[in-house]
Amino acid sequence: MQINDQVEADRWVGVALDSQIQSASSHPVILNGRELALWRGESGPARVWDDRCPHRGMRLSFGFVRGNTLRCLYHGWTYGENGHCEAIPAHPDLAPPKTICASTHGTAAKYGIIWVNLSATRAAHVPDLPNQPGWLPVRSVHLRASAPQVLDGIAEFDYGEPARTSMPAQNACVVVLGSDTQLFFALQPIGLDKTGLHVVVNESGEPQIPRRQRLARQVARLRDTIEAGGGGVWPSPRTL
Amino acid sequence: MAITTDPVAINHWIACGWPGKVPVGGYWDTVLLGQNIRVSRPQPDIYEAAILTAGALGRRLPVQSRFCCIFTTLGQDPRPLPQIDEFDEPDRRLINCGSVGVNTSPYRMIENFLDMAHFPFVHTNILGAEKKTEVVSHKIEHRKDVDEIWATDCRFFQPAASKAATGGQMTDYTYRVMSPFSIMLYKNVHNDPGRNDAICMFVQPKGEAQCLAYMPMALVDDVNTTAAIIDFQQTIFLQDRVILENQRPALMPLAPAAEIPTKADVGSVTFRRWLKQMGISFGIYEKAAA
Repeated sequence: MQINDQVEADRWVGVALDSQIQSASSHPVILNGRELALWRGESGPARVWDDRCPHRGMRLSFGFVRGNTLRCLYHGWTYGENGHCEAIPAHPDLAPPKTICASTHGTAAKYGIIWVNLSATRAAHVPDLPNQPGWLPVRSVHLRASAPQVLDGIAEFDYGEPARTSMPAQNACVVVLGSDTQLFFALQPIGLDKTGLHVVVNESGEPQIPRRQRLARQVARLRDTIEAGGGGVWPSPRTL
Repeated sequence: MAITTDPVAINHWIACGWPGKVPVGGYWDTVLLGQNIRVSRPQPDIYEAAILTAGALGRRLPVQSRFCCIFTTLGQDPRPLPQIDEFDEPDRRLINCGSVGVNTSPYRMIENFLDMAHFPFVHTNILGAEKKTEVVSHKIEHRKDVDEIWATDCRFFQPAASKAATGGQMTDYTYRVMSPFSIMLYKNVHNDPGRNDAICMFVQPKGEAQCLAYMPMALVDDVNTTAAIIDFQQTIFLQDRVILENQRPALMPLAPAAEIPTKADVGSVTFRRWLKQMGISFGIYEKAAA
């Protein structure tokens, strides 16, 4: 029996800003109701696994990092970057069988965003963006709204200047403001009425820190606007 | 929450309160296997229980007061309460730590109580240390005469085995699973192996993944205050609760491939096999998936 045996679509979904996932840390992430652990070793790229240890189902987002291994908080079972169990502390002299393996998922870092693909095939590509020298983090927000509602809200939002919106993929959106600002939004469907939004901006000649602070405030206002009801009946926080 | 239809789960005496919870002349309302009940206390030593339906009292339930807890049953033919002689020894201190709510299946709680391998990671520098993590082989048996699971010859290094301990030691444990909802251990915190501390956990399953745990103890300790002993026990239990409420799924999976055991889990494997053989479905994952 597999605990998570639903068939997942072959697509990449942004689940965090790469800059926010510190080295030697593990975090819970939910994608379409599925619980995932997003972790990074003391060096190297972030990884996304199912949020359960194969031993006793403990959430690996509670785990701790030693070197480039993730260790379960419950019994210290130690998993290497490929997901294989390397050590079982209760039996220090035992070489763990190869069959003990965390459930790993395709993970990529691109445009300053961490992407995950839950499908087994992984033939799809991370959404292509216009050629840019680089992307800088703005911020992540969680919204009480569905992903389609968030997409509508991004397109309808008043940015205070002319805006052109395009969708390079199902869960991604580019907004061009003026001549040299390109905002990129990656949408993370969390549940039916909850969506994560991870926002980066292109590099430009403008002083970076005040620019990103201004854009981060705009993203918070965008969230408030969408949650205030861009149409439809909004569930109150109590009922969530 | 609807009462369970599982005839196996129903036929047990189950803890549903402790004296400190029910004032004399008063009552406390709680839930047992999905059934609302009222536990009342007309006189200091007399407890009563009854089914509660839409605020009205229904069928009276039998009650026993034992091991510092109040027990009742919804079943017609419940398995008797276990015999625990230590609670009758006159010089022991009987201490009830109250109850702690835990949102998980009752069997996850029993299994955690039976587990030594987590001591170094969950109870770091108290019941275990990261430098001494090995679980040496021990004996597990299903004692068919009493239909209990016993784990004997268990030994584990403990930096601070109890409130009475004065330094690190190899602690001897004996575990005893007395029903799907009750477990106890004996541990030698003293030099006299005939005077082991007896620590119980009686689980009150309110729902399939909502429980209350009662932890009465019969100790040999004439040094520490009751408050200090309770504080020690609650510290340990709250460390366990972080784990217990974050296992996925919360319900207990019994399919052999669902979770991978190792040698140290021989107690857990025996416990799960026992649950499967008795055909219990309340709080079990596979039924929910079917």
